[in-house]
Formats: sequence, C-alpha cells, structure tokens
Amino acid sequence: MLERRSALAGTKEIASSRVRLGEVRGFTLTQVAALDDPVLSDIRAVLGDLPQHPFCGEKDGRRIFHTAPHQFWIVGPEADDIGRRLEGMAIVTGLSHSRTRIFVEGPAAPDVLAKVIEIDLHEAVFGPGMFAMTGLHHTPILLHRVTASRFEIYAMRTFAANAWDWLADAALEFV
Amino acid sequence: MTRFHRRPEGGHIDRARQVSFTLNGRSYSGFAGDTLASALLANDVTLIGRSFKYHRPRGLVSAGVEEPNALFTLGSGARTEPNIPGTIVDLVDGLEARTQNAWPSVGFDLMAVNQLAAPLFQSGFYYKTFMGPAKGSWMFYEPFIRRAAGLGAATRAFDPDRYETRHQHCDVLVVGAGAAGLAAAISAGRSGARVFLAEQDALLGGGLLAEPAMESWRQARLAELQAMPNVQMATRCTAMGLYDDNLVVLVERRDHARPDASKGQPRQVSISLRAKAIVFATGAIERPLVFGDNDRPGIMLASAVRTYLNRFAIVPGRRAVVATNNDTAYPLAAELAAAGVAVMLVDSRPTTAAVAPGVNVLADSSVATVAGRGHIQQVTLSGAHRATFDCDVLAVSGGWSPTLHLTSHTGIKPRYDAAIAAFVPGGFAKTHFGAGAVMGTFGLRAAIIEGAKAGVEAAGAAGFATSDGAMTTIQGNDPTYAITVAPPVLSGKGKAFLDFQSDVTAKDVKIAHQEGYQSVEHLKRYTTLGMGTDQGKTSNVNALAAMSELRGMQIPAVGTTTFRPPYTGVAMGAIAGRGIGKHFRPTRLSPLHDWHRANGATFIEAGPWLRVYYYAWAGDTVATAYVKEMELVRRGVGLSDVSTLGKIDVQGPDAAEFLNRVYVNGFAKLPVGKARYGVMLNDDGVVLDDGTTTRISETQFYLTTTTAQAGEVMSWLEFLLQTQWRDLRVHVTSLTDEWAGMALAGPKSREALQLAFPGVDVSNHGLPYMGCLEFDYEGAQIRLLRLSFSGELAYEIHLPADYSIPLWEHILRVAAPLGIKPYGLEALASLRIEKGHVAGLELDHRNTLDDLGLGKMAAKEKPFVGKELRMRENLQAPDRWSLVGLELLEPGKSLRGGAILFAATDEIKGHGRGYITSVTWSVELQKTIALGLYQGGLKNVGAEIICAFPLKDEFVRARIVSPHFVDPKGERLNA
Repeated sequence: MLERRSALAGTKEIASSRVRLGEVRGFTLTQVAALDDPVLSDIRAVLGDLPQHPFCGEKDGRRIFHTAPHQFWIVGPEADDIGRRLEGMAIVTGLSHSRTRIFVEGPAAPDVLAKVIEIDLHEAVFGPGMFAMTGLHHTPILLHRVTASRFEIYAMRTFAANAWDWLADAALEFV
Repeated sequence: MTRFHRRPEGGHIDRARQVSFTLNGRSYSGFAGDTLASALLANDVTLIGRSFKYHRPRGLVSAGVEEPNALFTLGSGARTEPNIPGTIVDLVDGLEARTQNAWPSVGFDLMAVNQLAAPLFQSGFYYKTFMGPAKGSWMFYEPFIRRAAGLGAATRAFDPDRYETRHQHCDVLVVGAGAAGLAAAISAGRSGARVFLAEQDALLGGGLLAEPAMESWRQARLAELQAMPNVQMATRCTAMGLYDDNLVVLVERRDHARPDASKGQPRQVSISLRAKAIVFATGAIERPLVFGDNDRPGIMLASAVRTYLNRFAIVPGRRAVVATNNDTAYPLAAELAAAGVAVMLVDSRPTTAAVAPGVNVLADSSVATVAGRGHIQQVTLSGAHRATFDCDVLAVSGGWSPTLHLTSHTGIKPRYDAAIAAFVPGGFAKTHFGAGAVMGTFGLRAAIIEGAKAGVEAAGAAGFATSDGAMTTIQGNDPTYAITVAPPVLSGKGKAFLDFQSDVTAKDVKIAHQEGYQSVEHLKRYTTLGMGTDQGKTSNVNALAAMSELRGMQIPAVGTTTFRPPYTGVAMGAIAGRGIGKHFRPTRLSPLHDWHRANGATFIEAGPWLRVYYYAWAGDTVATAYVKEMELVRRGVGLSDVSTLGKIDVQGPDAAEFLNRVYVNGFAKLPVGKARYGVMLNDDGVVLDDGTTTRISETQFYLTTTTAQAGEVMSWLEFLLQTQWRDLRVHVTSLTDEWAGMALAGPKSREALQLAFPGVDVSNHGLPYMGCLEFDYEGAQIRLLRLSFSGELAYEIHLPADYSIPLWEHILRVAAPLGIKPYGLEALASLRIEKGHVAGLELDHRNTLDDLGLGKMAAKEKPFVGKELRMRENLQAPDRWSLVGLELLEPGKSLRGGAILFAATDEIKGHGRGYITSVTWSVELQKTIALGLYQGGLKNVGAEIICAFPLKDEFVRARIVSPHFVDPKGERLNA
C-alpha cells in the first residue's frame, strides 16, 4: 500500500504554554453538492439535519460545513464510506488530499490568528462551532473554531507550507 | 544662566527613573516619561536643528506631532531612522539622536551662508534657475540641490526590526483620549459595546496632561475605563487613515518596550481596525503668529510652553512674553507667573480678557520684531505699546486649528468657521461623530459633555442602546473662546515664516500670488508649503489667511488643501508588515516538492508556483541540463511533475452539453474513457485556454487547463454556470490541489509503465492514444491518460496528491533499468516548442484560433462561447500576426524571446511584423528554433526574415518554417 504523505510532512509541531500549532492528519474530506432542493432531502436522509452556515454540524464522528449554496463539506475519519453512500444521489467529489488541516490552539490562538486573518474572532461574533470561508496570506481557507481556544484551518494543499510558515511566524512571540 | 530648567517636583515624569541618552554623541539625562524634546529642553538644549532651505537656527516649536523643526535622526547602523520629531519620541536608555541638515554642527553650520543669499531662494527659485541653459540641466543640478537642502538621510541597510499587521474589530472606535475622547469612551463603554480608544501619545489625557487642575478628573476617568473589560485602550497608537466602510489604519509604536525581533516582538504594528461607529476626538493644533524672524529658537507655541511646564515640569528662565490673539494663552501666563517667571502678556485684540495676579498685560499690541539669533533675547512690539522687552521665551498663540485630517480622508471637505477662524469637519457619515476641540469646541466642560453625547450616539449607531451619557464634569462655565485674527503682515523686516519645515515665508506666498499661483493647490506646489513631513499642521490656515488677504477674498472662497493619509509619518516597515522577502507573495508548492528538493532540483518561480527548472543529474547550469533532459525524453524515458496543471471536476447530467458549449470543438459525443484536446475562447472570441478533458463517466469529466490559466478557467466556468446557463445541471470543483500529475514521456515510456503497473494492459490496444484507464494501485486511485505534450509516446499519471511521492519513487525505481530520470520545466517547455504546441506564451489573451493555427478545430454546426465574435472582421483579417516556426540561419548567434520580426527588406523601425514568443535549442534538429507570431503567418514559409532585439543591438537572420519541427505526422505519439 502506498503511504499518504502530507504537504507538511517536513514540519514539526510548535508548542508553548500559550500556543500550539500542528497538523491534523488522517481524515476524509468529501464534498457533496445538490443540484436542486429535492436532492437536499435525499442528502438529509443520509446525513440527518444539515447545518446552516456559519455553524458546523457534528454527527457520527463527522463534521459538516455548509460551504456554498446546496454544497457541503463532510470531514470524517480516515476510512469513511460517506462518499460512496451519497454517490448517485448527489454530486460527490473527494477532496481529502486537497486540504491540509492545521490547528492553532491555546490562550494566545486568537492573537496569533488576528495577525493573519481579517475576520472578527471575538467569541460573541465567531464563537465555538462556527466556521468561515476566509483568507490567509492571499489564499482561501476554511477557518473552524472548534472551541474557544482551538481553531482548525483547512488550507489548500499546495499553499499549506506557505500557510504554515505564515502562522508559525505569527506565533513566534508566543512561543 | 539657564533659559530652561526642571522643577524639583510635579509633572508626569518619574524622577526615580533616570534615563541617559546622547545627542550628537554627547551624553544627557532625563526621566522616564520624558520625550526626547522635553529632555533636551530640560537640559537647556534649545538649538536643535537647521532649517530646510536657509539653514537658519531652529528650536522646538511644539510639544506634539505637529512639530516642524525638531527633527532628529535616531539610532545608528541599520536602525538609523531619519526625520523623527523629538516631540513624539519616548526617552529610553541609550537613545541615540542626531541633529540634521547642519554641518559641522547646529551651532556652526557652514551652509548657513545660504542665509546671506536668502533673497535668491524665494519660491520658484530652483525651477527658474536650474532649468537652463541646456536641456537636462535640472538633472545635472538636482543632486547638488538635494544635498544642500533637505532632511536626514535614510540607511540603505535592511531594517533588522520586525513589523506586524493586526486585524481588529470593534463597535466604537474613539480616536483621541483627551477630555472629549475619555468621556466618549466611557459612555460608549457603558452600553456594553466593544470600544477601542486610540491615543497617539504615550499617556492618555491629551490636553488634560497640561491642566494640573484636571488631574484628578483624568485619573478618575481612567479608573472607570480600566474597570470596563469591553474597552481596549491603546497608547502610542496613531490613527493614520480613514477608508471606506469604517476601516481605520492605526500604527502602534513599541520602541519604548525594546522589542526583540528574534523573539517575534514587533517594533511597530499596523492595525487594520474595522469599527461600526467612530468618534473623532482628535483635538486641535495651535497656530503660530506670523511676524519677522518668528522662527528664532525660544519662540514656541503657548500650548507647548504650557505642556513643558505642567507635564514635564520645565520652567523657562526668568522672563517670558506671551503673545496671543485669543483667550487660550491666558492660563499659561498665570501659571508662568505662579512659577516665578516675569510674564508680559501681549494681546493683539483691543480688549483683553481677565488676567491673574502677577501678569502684566498689554492690549492692542503685537510682536513686531525679535532680537537674538541662536535664541530669542528681546521682543519689540507694535500697536498701542511699542515697547521692547527682554525675554527667555516667547510663547505665541495664533488660535487653534481643529485636527480634522481623519474626518476628511474619505472626501468630506472641511468647513470654515469664522467664529473660531479655523476649519471644522464639513460633515459626518452616518456612523461618524465628533466631540471636543475637533468640532471647534474649545471649552473643557463643553468638550466633556459633547464627548459623552457622542459616545452614546456612536454606541447607538453600532447597535447598542444606552441612555447613560451622564458624565462627571467640572464646575463652572468654560471661558469663552474669543479670537480676532489680524491680517498677516506680508512685508517688513525679517523673514516671516508660515511653514517652518519647508522654509516658506509670507513673502513667498506673495510671489506665488504675483506669478499667478493663486489656487490653494498651486500655491502648495509652487512654494512647497505644507509638503514637509509635518504636512503643514501648523501652517495651513496662516497660509490661507495670507492668500485670502492677497486675493481680497474670504478664506472659505480660497479653499483648503485636501488631507490624505497618513496623518503622521509611517515607517515603511509598518506598511510592509511581514509581507517581506519570500513572503512578499504566497508560494505554491507541488505535492512532489519535497522529493524534488531532496533530489537535486533547481527551482524557478512560475507565477506563484515554485517549479523544477532542471535537475542536477543533467548538469550544473540550465543551459546544459535542459538539453540533456530533452535528449532523455527524445531517446529514452523521462518523468516530469505536471501537478501544476489546472484540474477541474465537471459533473452532472448536463456536463457534456456544458463542455460542448465551452470548447470550440465537440465534446458531446466523447466516449467514456477517452480524452480530447480542447480549446476555449472568451466571449470576445479570443483564445482563453487549452487542455485535455477526459470523460470519466456519462455524467463526469476530468478537465485540465494550463498552469497559468487554471484559476481563470475555473472562475469562468463558475461564472457561466451561475449567471448565463443556470438551467444546466452541472457542478464544477477545482481538483488542482487534490490530484497530482506526472508526465511519463519518451519512446521507452510504455515499457516503464508496464514495469510500474504490471497488471494493467497498457499496450497500444489496451490504452490507445487519447485513451484513459482508471484503476487502483496499492490503495491509490490512478487516472492514466495517454497524451503527449512533447510529441513522443507519452502518458500522464494522475492520482490523489498525498500518494504522489511514493508513486513517483516507485516508477523511478522499477524503470531504472530503462535509464529513466526526472526532467524539469525548461526541458518540458522546450520539447513542446519542438512539437509546435502552443502554451502560455502564445495563449496571451490576444490571439485567435486562426492566429494559433487552430482554426480548423472550430465546430461549424454547434454554438460555443466566442463563436460569433471571433468572426469579427479584424479578427479574421488575412494579415494578422499568426503562428510560425523559425529556424536560426546564423549559427553561433542566438534568438531571443520578444525579438521583433521584420521582413528582410524592411527598415528596422517600429513594431515590425511580429515577434518571437518561445525559443529553444532543438536536440532533434541540432539548431536554434523558435515559435513566433508573424504577419500573414505560414503564407511566408521559406521567407528569410530579420529578428531584431534593439536593446542588445542584435539583428539575426532566420527562416520561417512550419511550427511542427518534430514528427509532424504524429507517428511517435501514436506508436
């Protein structure tokens, strides 16, 4: 079997009491899109209630992000059959290799991100469980606030090293 | 006898913390809480610079950001920073400061001879004098002029400090923490709104810091604010610019904290703050009085003398003259008298305001002349009392100009208020509010009330209702602010400066007027008024008054100049932030990048991508390596990373119909498992991109684009689906990051493939040209396409990105007996030139299908994007520049991309008949070949032409040939 190799295979986790920066590996990202409303009902039959932007849905060990009208990203475990189950019913595209998942955690995490992401990260505006499609150093990302002090960034794989450098640099004063 | 000295107590300084610093190498000491300016003044250093043009001795004028004279060069080596007003520099241990624009010293400056020639240096002098006698004279003189006049010199060394950018958001931004700003922040804070209070000074309080009687009020308000977790207070944080949508850019300075770049500590932070509502409480700046020699050291703004007295506990010698045209200088006179200074208050108005005991007051009198060069010694009055007084300091107040710069950044013109003889904000956007001196409200009590109200209103505008605008204020009524501005004296003895920093006098304005530069904008550019680093903060209104006097008009009719960001000087580093070096823009890496780096690749930037230029196995330089890599592909087998190609998943019941409309050639009937080369036009009928698209199933296609146009094609497809053809049931997703791609090319590529995937039938029958196989290999989904960019037998292997390095290594390992090696971009691009394939250099959004020799691909029966517009007369003209091949006829010489093409008989002049797009050495033909565009294209086959590259003085002969240099019949790729 070929072994998966992440875009950040050469990097090491950064950790201090104030901030931790690392990668989440071993997940499946499946994009499912419906061409019309009736298909959405079919998808609901498989996934259950669909979350509405900007809230991330969590069910059966999967996270569901409403990324565009009639379009969702399902982040599941490394071996996930959800794509196969939705095949034929909706438009399914495997994107597991297209995004690199970086976490930023700790009390200084919002301060690190404020240097590199333009959106308002105040808890009253962007609280735990919310996500945003935004940008980091000129490249698009999906930012998910998992808890008050943990964020996960889904960066484009080909820009992942760039995103990592940019984040690591922003975290420097807290390390 | 000292002119200034420090009092033993009082002020906002910490006498327990002594701070040493140097000026021009000489050591001095001050206290924590001092600015460089106040520390120098406390040391009785009053001559601190030479003026820009005339090299006149200059001293401190102000105590704030408006300072025109006291500019220093700070630091040394790579940290040298010129032109910094000493009035805003926190005094820190070891601070190194140098005076500017004087040699050998400010006390004895050789260039002061300019003063003797001063009558020459009036406005327009340089333009009039140095434009002749010959063309280009200005270019000759300019460096000398710049050396003689000017400010400090910047260093050329790389700035070792760190600068950062921060994004912040708030409900209410309060700019300025004076009386009005503090009140506004408190009342807005009470509503629960997120408040950001920005103060440029090191301390909160603004003008209150010079009002000892207000200290307890200030402390109480600060305590109130500190108790509010929703209020963030930032000092040394200047609002530089206001932009659309309430975006305010602030710069926060942290020099005082000794930031260590190696620990990631920034020296300055540029904050992009988005506020729902803004309260401008930016205060006002005092104006000087205009009289002869009004620039002598020791002549200071009354507000500055007051600040130095009360905030920094610095008393001027024994005698002071306070000259004013308004009421605000009166408290200073009283405080000086209380401090034991003999004070003469000179008021140009016929009636004076009430004065404190111990202050002598003379009404209806103005300063006529002053005596003393290096420092003022005497003042002679005109008017009712033509007396002469000795003095150590002359404090002047010409009235106050509201600091409305920010309020006008978005285009709202200031409005002239005759009652205060100054401009006030001309209006506000719905979410903007003003309070205090910036509104022309000069009384403290009124400013506090106004601030509290503005805070409530701003919170309301941000969606936070509050009725609690109650504010502890001060007892009694504010003194009235009465001002009478006398017409400026435009002639007389001594230079009467309007703009100290740019050395512009009242007489210069008169000359500008005489010569027709009467509009404010012309006046500014002709005289350089207001064009210094202080941007005319103290000179603007006085200059307008002078011009309005000359034109016999009111100030509002003369106009005001436009204020633009930044409000004060900003370090270049703060603008760049961390976007420096390799982070100037993002870098995009192929999933195979780590392998390339570990295996001898030399990289080249291609757009955002870092691509392999060539590999070390083939040579040390690109010139030798790419030829070897080309030979590898033409004679054996090579492996190249093509992951940068754009890849798009096109799915849905109407996917085939969609592609059939997008591409000029047919895709509706493409069988499943087959690939097809397609070209798409933009809606102007010009070629947008090309690539290969494969039908994966009845309803799914795998579309590839060129590397360069990947993003544009994706946007284009989304645009078409979302706006033009909403009825089509199709969904597109970019797979560029999901899938890696590698090209396996060369006559031995099939053998290599058989070794790599032993169970897969890759025979000519099993996988014919333009065929596609999908299979699973060791857990990875593989898309194996038989197509060729090089013209050789070749394949593309696509697979999910994380598996690309293991598979790449597998192929190189198993095919090693065939001599397989990797090849880079230069070889890849050169192989396609030999084959005559167009690429990014030819697909430049200017060429039509026919220009590129692809006209026959266009379907006649079906509609497609660009079909009608491509038939426009000009796009079909027979003499358009179109694709040709070129062969170099002069061995030993070279062809160059961009060379202009001329017919052999043409005069080498102008734009020629075409140009070269791509050049390579052909390993096949053993000569230099090129692709280019030439008038009339292939009608000229066989013609000898001239390739001109005038920049290098190169003129080379070449012959026009078919662009298909290699295997024109395609026998190899079909083998």
